[in-house]
Amino acid sequence: MAIHERSLVEPERILRKERLVVDGVDVSGDWNLIILPRVINDYDLDFAKEVINSPDGKTINQCYQCSYCTASCPVHNYWDERYNPRHFIYLARLGMIDELQKRADVMWRCVSCHKCTHRCPKGVLVEEVLKAILRTMAKKGLIEEYPSKKFDKFFTESVLEYGRIEDGELLFGWIEKQGYKVFKDPILKKPIPFIGETPEWLKQLTMKPIKSMNIGFLVLNAKHMLFHPRTKNWSRFKQVLRKVMQEEGALH
Amino acid sequence: MGVIGKRVAYYPGCSLEGAARSYDVSTRIVAKELGLELDYLEDYNCCGAMESKNVTFMGTMLLNARNMSLAKKQGHNVIVAPCNGCSFSLQRAEYFLETDKAVYDKVNALLREGGVDPLDQIPQTYHILEWFYHEAGPQKVKEKTRKPLRGLKVANYYGCLYTRPHFYARTYAHAGGQDEDARPRRRETADDDEHPYYMNALLEAAGATSVEFEPMHTQCCGGPHSLSDEMVSEKFVMMILQTAKRNGADIIATECPLCHASLEMYRHRLMMKGVPDVDVPAAYFTQLLGLAFGYSANEVKLKDNLSDPLPVLKRLGLA
Repeated sequence: MAIHERSLVEPERILRKERLVVDGVDVSGDWNLIILPRVINDYDLDFAKEVINSPDGKTINQCYQCSYCTASCPVHNYWDERYNPRHFIYLARLGMIDELQKRADVMWRCVSCHKCTHRCPKGVLVEEVLKAILRTMAKKGLIEEYPSKKFDKFFTESVLEYGRIEDGELLFGWIEKQGYKVFKDPILKKPIPFIGETPEWLKQLTMKPIKSMNIGFLVLNAKHMLFHPRTKNWSRFKQVLRKVMQEEGALH
Repeated sequence: MGVIGKRVAYYPGCSLEGAARSYDVSTRIVAKELGLELDYLEDYNCCGAMESKNVTFMGTMLLNARNMSLAKKQGHNVIVAPCNGCSFSLQRAEYFLETDKAVYDKVNALLREGGVDPLDQIPQTYHILEWFYHEAGPQKVKEKTRKPLRGLKVANYYGCLYTRPHFYARTYAHAGGQDEDARPRRRETADDDEHPYYMNALLEAAGATSVEFEPMHTQCCGGPHSLSDEMVSEKFVMMILQTAKRNGADIIATECPLCHASLEMYRHRLMMKGVPDVDVPAAYFTQLLGLAFGYSANEVKLKDNLSDPLPVLKRLGLA
């Protein structure tokens, strides 16, 4: 039997024999590949309920497992075949938490390109559902901090603070978060680019084009970095946002 | 024609005020030339991009609802965003506010609490490319072109969120599986959902030649992960650039500052690694249109592009 999504079967459960004799009958040939059965008894049916109760996760039950999402997914096709949206939905609905946890290292790899949602014939908001699953897992402590979530949080905090984001400050703030020592000016406490530690790739990336770059562009960005563009009338709205995020458990 | 309106609320988004200023400047130039009017959305806030929605659902709704409320306050029923991420976020909020009564009520209550006018009616969001195509169109571009982009072979890169998902962008006639009310209808102005062509049409009207670029024209550039998961982004960008180069493109035309930044950053990194066939520069489609309308390279801020498209354009005698 052909296994279409071989990545779903753990290698240790696949048994392949040169010669296979069952009850005295030689069944070698097509039948020499066996997938060992498994018993599942620790499923959690409340997990799916929690996903369904969030506004962006409620379409999870419309899925009929056609795998169109997986077939469209660039991460599945070009990067890691273990990233499989259809399968994640399946596992979440059955409440197979440990299987989900085994895939935690690829689950965050979604690039949010929405091909899955776009092509779903059943109207499942696949990308939103997967993010709802991830969020639920994070809330229950089933998944550790992963790089993109750290960045998402960092980004959201920046938005919460100023109402807007600034590319340069975001970039260097993020570099600092990753453990590089970034030099900050003493008055405004803003990171100064390229003084202190900078990852080698970024140095090479920007140093070459910077020489040919427009001086006006550099001045504008430096100005923005020092005096972060802010949204006026933000403080009251910020309080509401903060409250909402606390309710959702996104802020501590 | 004439569905969206000649005068709209313009939501530039954070990056157009900073690193992608060239897109902002050239967009204004093109709009002016085409006889369209942009009304800058005063005191807007970030749409939350692709990041905030992974952290908080209601918070992202609120961020976008505030912008919508500001647009209503300025007397607009239509918001136009030049960034795929921004237009996606606004359209997403629009979708949830329209189809989910509970979300709508809660958002309105919270808006009032935050000192912003609640939404009685939800403004529609369009991508700026859609707007240009429908309110001006290739014919008008042709009329205005003074210096045709003759001989320029362009790979038109739309990125992922311009037509996707059809629930939010309403690029598809129907969507199965949901009840009638929640089923989004295709809108008149929407681009083709799998084979978008608006940018091709506009740039061809300005004299450029489009090269074969499917299916990479809507392939993701890995943007949301460009700072947290570099290997994925690098691979995706490599595929895009190599497809463009091998099909003979001189330049990649973009319509999203996030895609643009991602393409430029990783292009440079790939070139340093010695990957073949990746040296295609990127420029915003408005910059190319601006050039065609007779503006100089300086006026459309071509020098701000990291990937430096000037040599290519100079070689063809266009800049």
